[in-house]
Amino acid sequence: MSTSPRKRPASEAIVAGGVVLLLIVIVALVFWSGAGNSLYPPKPATDRAHEISNLYNIVFAIAAAIFVAVEGLIIWSVLRYRRRPTDVDLPPQTHGNNLVEVLWTTIPTVIVLFLFVISWDSLNKVDAVSSDLTKTVQINAIAGQFQWQFEYLDANGKHLATQTRPLTGDGSGGMAVPVGRPIHVTLTSHDVIHAWYVPRFLFKRDVVPGQQNHFEFTVDADEAGQTFHGQCAELCGTFHNAMHFDVVAMTGADFDAWLAKLVEQANATQPPPPSGAPILKVEAKNIAFDVKTLEVAANAPFVIDFKNDDPSSITHDVQIRQSDGTTVIQEQAAIPGGSEQNYQYNALPAGTYTFICSIHPVANMTGTLTVK
Amino acid sequence: MTADAPTMTAIAQPEGHAPAVGHARGGISNPILGMILFITSEVMFFSGLFAAYFATRANNHPWPPDVFKDILDPLGPIIVATIILITSSFTCQFAVWSIRRGDRRGFVRNISITFVLGIVFLLMQAFDYTILFGEGMTLGSGPFGTTYFTLTGFHGAHVFGGVLMLGVILYRGGSGQFSAKHHDAVEAVSLYWHFVDVVWILLFSILYLLP
Amino acid sequence: MATHALSPAAIPAYRGGLLEWLTTTDHKKIGIMYVINSFLFFLIGGVFALLVRTELAVPGIQIFTNEHVYNEAFSIHATVMIFLFIIPMLAGLGNFSVPLMIGAPDMAFPRVNALSFWMLPLGGILLLSGFLTPGGAAAAGWTSYPPLSEKLAQSSPGPGQDLWIAALILIGTSSILGGINFLVTIFKMRAPGMTLFRMPIMVWTMLVTSVLVVMATPVITSALVMLYIDRNLGGSFFLPDQGGMAVLYQNVFWFYSHPAVYVMVLPAMGVISEVLPVFSRKPLFGYRAFIFATAGIGALGFSVWAHHMFTTGAVFLPFFSLMTFLIAVPTGVKMFNWVFTLFRGQLTFSTPLIFAIGFLTMFLIGGINGAFSASVPIDFALQDTYWVVAHLHYVLFGGSVFGMFAGIYYWFPKMTGRLLDEGLGKVHFVLMFVGFNLTFFPMHMLGIAGMPRRIADYADPSWTDWNLLATVGGFMIAASMLPFLWNVFISLRNGKVAGDDPWEGNTLEWATSSPPPPYNFDRLPEIRSERPVFDARHGLVAHGGHGGPVEEEAPKALEEGHVDNQGPGGPRDG
Repeated sequence: MSTSPRKRPASEAIVAGGVVLLLIVIVALVFWSGAGNSLYPPKPATDRAHEISNLYNIVFAIAAAIFVAVEGLIIWSVLRYRRRPTDVDLPPQTHGNNLVEVLWTTIPTVIVLFLFVISWDSLNKVDAVSSDLTKTVQINAIAGQFQWQFEYLDANGKHLATQTRPLTGDGSGGMAVPVGRPIHVTLTSHDVIHAWYVPRFLFKRDVVPGQQNHFEFTVDADEAGQTFHGQCAELCGTFHNAMHFDVVAMTGADFDAWLAKLVEQANATQPPPPSGAPILKVEAKNIAFDVKTLEVAANAPFVIDFKNDDPSSITHDVQIRQSDGTTVIQEQAAIPGGSEQNYQYNALPAGTYTFICSIHPVANMTGTLTVK
Repeated sequence: MTADAPTMTAIAQPEGHAPAVGHARGGISNPILGMILFITSEVMFFSGLFAAYFATRANNHPWPPDVFKDILDPLGPIIVATIILITSSFTCQFAVWSIRRGDRRGFVRNISITFVLGIVFLLMQAFDYTILFGEGMTLGSGPFGTTYFTLTGFHGAHVFGGVLMLGVILYRGGSGQFSAKHHDAVEAVSLYWHFVDVVWILLFSILYLLP
Repeated sequence: MATHALSPAAIPAYRGGLLEWLTTTDHKKIGIMYVINSFLFFLIGGVFALLVRTELAVPGIQIFTNEHVYNEAFSIHATVMIFLFIIPMLAGLGNFSVPLMIGAPDMAFPRVNALSFWMLPLGGILLLSGFLTPGGAAAAGWTSYPPLSEKLAQSSPGPGQDLWIAALILIGTSSILGGINFLVTIFKMRAPGMTLFRMPIMVWTMLVTSVLVVMATPVITSALVMLYIDRNLGGSFFLPDQGGMAVLYQNVFWFYSHPAVYVMVLPAMGVISEVLPVFSRKPLFGYRAFIFATAGIGALGFSVWAHHMFTTGAVFLPFFSLMTFLIAVPTGVKMFNWVFTLFRGQLTFSTPLIFAIGFLTMFLIGGINGAFSASVPIDFALQDTYWVVAHLHYVLFGGSVFGMFAGIYYWFPKMTGRLLDEGLGKVHFVLMFVGFNLTFFPMHMLGIAGMPRRIADYADPSWTDWNLLATVGGFMIAASMLPFLWNVFISLRNGKVAGDDPWEGNTLEWATSSPPPPYNFDRLPEIRSERPVFDARHGLVAHGGHGGPVEEEAPKALEEGHVDNQGPGGPRDG
């Protein structure tokens, strides 16, 4: 004898049902309380990011419903249909049910087609690129191992100036953007594949050598003054984890001023070095300085004739820091690979200092400067 | 009482003569099916290479590059090699028909010719390579050379493998190991040889005729 | 269930000593060697994972002061897990079970079977020897995208990458030969009466898996060959400076590597489809639909590869997004079939069933979080972040590894003649289930918050808590291996004797001794459905059976839970 499913004690059903309900309640509480927020993307900061975030919410709701329903059914079955000692005869040997099987094929098909259609619609908005670039702020993002350069172009696509270091704090590059204006980014790499990724923009795009990718976005007006963290998101070598950049959103006026200053610095001709100043020679190649120690006289300005022998997408500089290696005393504008620059330094009191590439602050690009 | 031993019945014998152990009741034999599947896997290998060829070709203009504009001449020595390989497929098939009839001597004769033609093809291919090298076209001379030598090189390697297999069945046939009823290896090798020929026809058309 | 103890003398011994095992062509021994070798690589891959997790537990570089070595660690972790663990492990379970389940004496090509196996330890040695070379092992990810994997100064100049290529070509060849073997075995060597639609689902999943292996693996061989030519023979397939295309590699690579994920999961699904019916005492719900769904997944699996490349800007996005969404439908059908096998059954919670339920609950999560990535705009946010790491581990660990353990606990008695201890099995499960979720669920949060993958260190302190939790979970998973290994050790020596059919199984392997004789079967029961041993046990075939696979026209007797040739007291006891 076996007890047919309908005649099993009600207590089993109550326990099974109770556990399932309890789990649903726990899940609901997690979301209601805000702990579940960690399963949602961060606050979107651009028009395209809002589009993606809304899409995410729809997909998430459907996903949560399916999760609760199917896991609930599994838990129900596991608790309800334990074989009992009185279950000697077999349970009904149900091989299938045409209606149910048709339903659970067609309904999911409808659901996924719905998801596809709304995704495609969002995609068209997210990937849209202006036909008239003169109305956008054109930036060429040059990714290299292991830093970012952001080249600002004029309305006709002509080079204006390049930002080679982060705008705030540490990192390996940074870009300033005005809010409320469409930003058109072109992605270029001369070495390996990288990816431009800003989590608050809910967006990334690969930087593929030999291929130019484009995308656009407009930062929300109320994000003016905010800094957004960005990072390379495609494995690109040893220091892939250190390829950070920041995106600083500014009001239109602040941005125009900032860009003007950048252009001015780029076009400024360097004053000649003070005559008699000693010239040290430093070369950078394969993300390494060719010297580990430098010596110079105290209390006199000096010059470093710095040559960057790496590929053009790789920038370096020679920064002077306290011996702790962190406190910056004198910095210089980074130069791209294939170029040479006379860096001029002010006089230093006697002591031991560190010289370092601020873009690649690694052992091979760190050395000791002895000032006597 | 045995614990949980399910009822066993002897396998019901089918009516009429049961097939010998290891033989299929109908359809192709295990080794031949195995060879067909192996050929399938090789087709997919070449598909990957062909896909790379077409993508590379679409990405590079002009194609062929000017420096190699007329270097792949379909009416040059390569046409002779092509005819030789196609002929070898015919002689291979004659060999199969021979052994199916039980004609061992016909089989050996035709397989020998196929074997020799296969070697001649390889020698002609090698000769052709030296001409191309002399004109500066190599694996390292750019996408045109890379794709050409990769495709034809792997084809040549497969021809070489086929020649080895032909050698084996030539030896086995010569020592009387095949009969009308038992010659699976011959069927299998001939399928492989035809595959190698078909790949060459495709290669010739795509590399020499298409540009 | 066996109700009286059998003496150890009842266990037929495997013939021969070490030399016999090293030279065997018996699929059962080869299958066992596959399982052992693969498990060894599971542990090796796991050690690399623990190293990675230890580094990432808190911000700052703790172990990998040379970040390049960190890149080697996760690259080799994934390569080992995919090519030396999960794919061959499932092939090994299939190797042991398929000939038995179809009533055949061995695989179609036993010597090729042995060759396929021995190529694996060799491939593993090749791969790991990269650590001994200057420049270390391959460090460009298991995906090895050029130009990073090319022989350029800041890329992968050392021989480690070449050894990686050679190892994968060797292992791929092993796989293809195995696939051919399975297909010929399944098509040509089934016992009389076993039509295709009476084959166990495990056999069906091995069939579809083998089709994928034979058709897809050669394509990655071509990608590897082209990469090798680029690196060493002056080639320019993937070097943009010379007219090549970096994304070309990704297309050829993923054309294989996507079907490969079905190779990594379908056999585990086959195991589940055997275990659930046995321990629910009901047939698999929707057997035919399940087969069509499996075939559908195999076919559709060839059409979705570029969903790994949505962010490259070089893909026809709508097509691949649509096909990716569509493949959720047959997967869902299978999910429902499994759940409805449990529904209204009589469940016995032996360890195989517990792991099978673990599969169901965890694979579901993996399928759901995958749907997010199918939506292209959402993928722009999630690609190359820890969300993807969460997804892949929920399907491959939560799915395949739990399924694999279900299979190991299920077939261990058949392989060895002894039962594994149930208590230790449950301890293993609980530790592993909790540890697994602790490790990988937080990765959803990390990914959505913006943590990219393949980074040796992170700077955002708000990511620390989730990372620390994940590391604790990782060590729990490692700890869970101890009760398992101890269980195997003591059960081999002293486990309860299993007998022919300890689980009241449905399929033919339970109609012979444990372990089976070298030729597998003395006699076979009549085969009239996909559950021949079940039918024989319940006297169905004595009644002449049914014309074909048992449809809903099952005799009324069964529908009401009675089997009419049973006397009072139910099935025969000892």
